[in-house]
Amino acid sequence: MKKSVAVLLVVAFVALSVLSLSRVASAEEIKMVGVITKIDIAGKDAKTATATLKDNKTEKLVVITINDDLTLDKFKDHRIVEGDEIRCKYEVIDGKNVSKLFRKTAGC
Amino acid sequence: MKQMVTITSTLLALLCAAGVWGAEHPGKSEIEKNGYKGPATCEECHPGTAKTFLDTVHWKHASKVDNVSNLDSKKEYGMKNRIYTMCNGNDIVNNLKEIPKNAEGKSKFTGCNTCHPGNHVSDVGSTGPEAQNAIDCLVCHSTDYDFRQRKPFKNAQGQVVMGQDRSTKAALAIAKPTVKNCMVCHEAAGGGVLVKRGFVFTKETDAHAAKGMVCVDCHKAKNHKIPTGFDPNNWANDGVRVACTDCHGDKPHKGLSAVYNNHTAKIACQTCHIPRTGGAVAKDFTVWEKGGDGFYEPTTLKQEANATVPVYAWYNKTVRNDQHFIGPNGSRKDGKSKIYPFKIFLGKAFYDQKTGKLLSMDFAPPMANGNTRAGVESAARTLGMKDPAAVAKNAVPGWQTIYFGSNHLVTKSKALNCVNCHGVNGVFNFRDLGYSDAEIKKLTNPELYFKQLIEKQKEEW
Ligand code: HEC
Ligand code: HEC
Ligand code: HEC
Ligand code: HEC
Ligand code: HEC
Ligand code: HEC
Ligand code: HEC
Ligand code: HEC
Repeated sequence: MKKSVAVLLVVAFVALSVLSLSRVASAEEIKMVGVITKIDIAGKDAKTATATLKDNKTEKLVVITINDDLTLDKFKDHRIVEGDEIRCKYEVIDGKNVSKLFRKTAGC
Repeated sequence: MKQMVTITSTLLALLCAAGVWGAEHPGKSEIEKNGYKGPATCEECHPGTAKTFLDTVHWKHASKVDNVSNLDSKKEYGMKNRIYTMCNGNDIVNNLKEIPKNAEGKSKFTGCNTCHPGNHVSDVGSTGPEAQNAIDCLVCHSTDYDFRQRKPFKNAQGQVVMGQDRSTKAALAIAKPTVKNCMVCHEAAGGGVLVKRGFVFTKETDAHAAKGMVCVDCHKAKNHKIPTGFDPNNWANDGVRVACTDCHGDKPHKGLSAVYNNHTAKIACQTCHIPRTGGAVAKDFTVWEKGGDGFYEPTTLKQEANATVPVYAWYNKTVRNDQHFIGPNGSRKDGKSKIYPFKIFLGKAFYDQKTGKLLSMDFAPPMANGNTRAGVESAARTLGMKDPAAVAKNAVPGWQTIYFGSNHLVTKSKALNCVNCHGVNGVFNFRDLGYSDAEIKKLTNPELYFKQLIEKQKEEW
């Protein structure tokens, strides 16, 4: 079961990279869970940031672009830091993986 | 009239907040000069604050509760000691600690009382000067808090300490609490971001947030007693309450919409103005799933903030509290109830084979290795139950139904209108709500709303 999901994800990745190569903006959302290995944000007033996630399933590094204020704020005051596990949904827009949902998984 | 005054004054306060506040806290230069030394610094100008804080729900995670059945009226209840199935433990059995190593040899700190403004050495409900000095005033009052500091760690004596940002920098940014300050704990209640209620408070999701309002504009506190409402699942309270009608009165609709005022005696404001709920709809605490980091979590069926259609029920603000059910009491006939929206949550956990009572779980063992019965055993031991091993071995899985109130995510534009309820296939199940066939026939007849909506249509076009 788990494996087939992983396979599907890889297929989705491949499909998407093909799509973005051909410069077609895709509205398809990709889901992943991974650990943050790096956050790049330029200062307190930044309107955008990138976070590198290591995909739990594929171990691949994926660079996500974050534009929403709530998440940016969590980077700025360090409520989200490197090492946190994240549940993320993103869309590929102009070759960038733009975050639609970016949440810590930590639960009970 | 009175409500106009309230709303105007709220708006005025908002304007002030934007202008004067955020600008300067009168104590700033003093703090700049002498540095921040914890609550003692604040006490110089706000004497007695720390002591009174120790007597609030935010410090005690408990209070006396008088509207819930099957409780001892002399005892206090809350996150400190309750046992239910949204989170199948409490501060006592799930005291903050380092969990056993998982298969990958990793450990981590976990515990319910991380959502407490103390330092854990002075824990939930502690008293005295040491407790006063341990309060994290800045987690609620600083707009420049560094959350890297707010992490559990072990001190030299081996005690688990909850860290705080006590820097002077953070203390120079004192303000009335912002949404973010409150959301430090409220956003992730129930086992993760937006899990319990899907409570996102942004301009997209809430009409009040869109007007620039913050939590404490409604939850105005005196002496740190923060008013709450009557959510059937939020028992602990500081003895003060907040309601929609405090500001709006019960006849807030004007002109063509005045018809809605005729409904407010039987239908709560939330029913029309909060047409959606969100967050987890079911969890299984008897089976945990392994995550990518090698730790286990209870199996959880999540939903986004606005993804769930509520269930409607009569509610008289008293709560039925049984082993398999926590929810509203009320009926059409008791003269006190109104129809409210709820999210129904179903939680599976272990029950005591002998007494039929819901058991609690220490999350440390299952988090490390998925062994949920070991969690039951550890909790039973902490609570001093007889023969914890047997309790755990014989425990029987079962489901509990919980009704969660729905009091945020307010909308005007998507509020329920006549057809949403009186149309065929409306959101109400009139029969379940106690209406007779003859009444239902009338309540679903277009005669009731046709003219009204035609007028409205004309107005809009
Ligand atoms: C040198 C004196 C001084 C010190 C020290 C001081 N304050 Fe104040 N503070 C004031 C004064 C004066 C006011 C405005 C009058 C009032 O509300 O009491 C104020 C207002 C506030 C308010 C805003 C009240 C509101 O409703 O807008 C908060 C919150 C506050 N202080 C928190 C703190 C905290 C937390 C500390 C410790 C970090 C602190 N203060 C330290 C003098 C001080
Ligand atoms: C991220 C912060 C946070 C953590 C961690 C947390 N809680 Fe809570 N909990 C809250 C908040 C905030 C509320 C009250 C607001 C609400 O219910 O939405 C609450 C309410 C409760 C209540 C209802 C209390 C009452 O007065 O009736 C119970 C029971 C509860 N939590 C159990 C737990 C258990 C068990 C754990 C640990 C396994 C836990 N919580 C961990 C934030 C947290
Ligand atoms: C759980 C969050 C929380 C914590 C922790 C907290 N406060 Fe407050 N504080 C509030 C709220 C809410 C208000 C009321 C704001 C309003 O109604 O405008 C408030 C108001 C105040 C005020 C304004 C006057 C008053 O009493 O209403 C002062 C001063 C203050 N707090 C100081 C402190 C100090 C000092 C500490 C630490 C000992 C502290 N607070 C800890 C939430 C908190
Ligand atoms: C340090 C974590 C934390 C912070 C910060 C926090 N809360 Fe809470 N809050 C809790 C917990 C935990 C509970 C549930 C305690 C219980 O029921 O036993 C709670 C309960 C409540 C309740 C219901 C009980 C009551 O006291 O009336 C309200 C309302 C509330 N919080 C509002 C707020 C507001 C407004 C803020 C921001 C000023 C805030 N909280 C900040 C953790 C926090
Ligand atoms: C427009 C006013 C308003 C704002 C803004 C508001 N609340 Fe509330 N809140 C209420 C009312 C009213 C209730 C109780 C209604 C009832 O039970 O009848 C409530 C209930 C609660 C409760 C009890 C549990 C529940 O969900 O019913 C908590 C906890 C709470 N609010 C926290 C917050 C926090 C945190 C914020 C900011 C992120 C906030 N509120 C913003 C009006 C507001
Ligand atoms: C502390 C006072 C206060 C409380 C409590 C409160 N409101 Fe409001 N509400 C306001 C204010 C202020 C406005 C903005 C009025 C304006 O801009 O004209 C508002 C606006 C609204 C609007 C219109 C929004 C729009 O887009 O025009 C609705 C609907 C509403 N409130 C419903 C509710 C409901 C339902 C509750 C209870 C869950 C509630 N309010 C609790 C003060 C409050
Ligand atoms: C039967 C459904 C219903 C109930 C009950 C109800 N409302 Fe409304 N309300 C509406 C609708 C629909 C609108 C939008 C009307 C419109 O667009 O003209 C509205 C509009 C409003 C507005 C905005 C008014 C304006 O002039 O812009 C406020 C404020 C408000 N309601 C508050 C409340 C409060 C407070 C309660 C509880 C006392 C309540 N409502 C109960 C359906 C309801
Ligand atoms: C949230 C659902 C809801 C909405 C929205 C709603 N109603 Fe109702 N309405 C009811 C319920 C329930 C009753 C029965 C109340 C009772 O038990 O007295 C009722 C009763 C009535 C009655 C009285 C029927 C009778 O003779 O007993 C009229 C007239 C009516 N509604 C018209 C309207 C109109 C017009 C609108 C739109 C402007 C509207 N309703 C919107 C739920 C709703």
